[in-house]
Amino acid sequence: MILHTRLKEIRLQRSLTQEALARAAGVTRQTIISIEKQKFVPSVKLAMQLAAVLDSPVDRVFWLESGQGGKS
Amino acid sequence: MTATIPYYVSRVVLAVALGALLVMTGSPWWAGSLIGALALAWFLWAPYSGRYVVRPHGRAMPLRRDERAESINNKAARNAFVLTMLVLGAVTVYYGISGLAAVPLPVLKGVLILGAVIYVTSDFWLRRGE
Repeated sequence: MILHTRLKEIRLQRSLTQEALARAAGVTRQTIISIEKQKFVPSVKLAMQLAAVLDSPVDRVFWLESGQGGKS
Repeated sequence: MTATIPYYVSRVVLAVALGALLVMTGSPWWAGSLIGALALAWFLWAPYSGRYVVRPHGRAMPLRRDERAESINNKAARNAFVLTMLVLGAVTVYYGISGLAAVPLPVLKGVLILGAVIYVTSDFWLRRGE
């Protein structure tokens, strides 16, 4: 199963730069870039931190290819 | 800026100590100076490299790997360890079959250097890939 994300889309909606999001979540900008490009799968903890920073439900930010979760 | 002063002071001390250690163990003074200078350059660059999360109030230890960097570091270390052990095993078998008494020290040093090269190359490659 592949973990998909709309991190970039939601980040841009919130007018956040990659640097600002990285700083708020306590990671490097490279990590944000890798997650947005779906080259790095974040841990549950980091996924929840990112969702909290973006003030969005975690299953709206990340979902599995199987369709489980809130891909609405 | 003042929060990171302990980091820079401690790294200058480390770089000088590294250079002095090399000179004391028989390396030429220029080699000790060069390695110390390279180590200091690395320490000065590290906070701006994007490889680490910088904690402003981390005092002498403000740099920390995030989970992606940790994952890359683990993979690179695993690659280096496995390949070094395989090469070491092959060298040991080769010298055993050849009937020689023991593996010469320069060969063992070469295997260790190879391990370090594999680690650095893997680290670079994995960062580039992600």
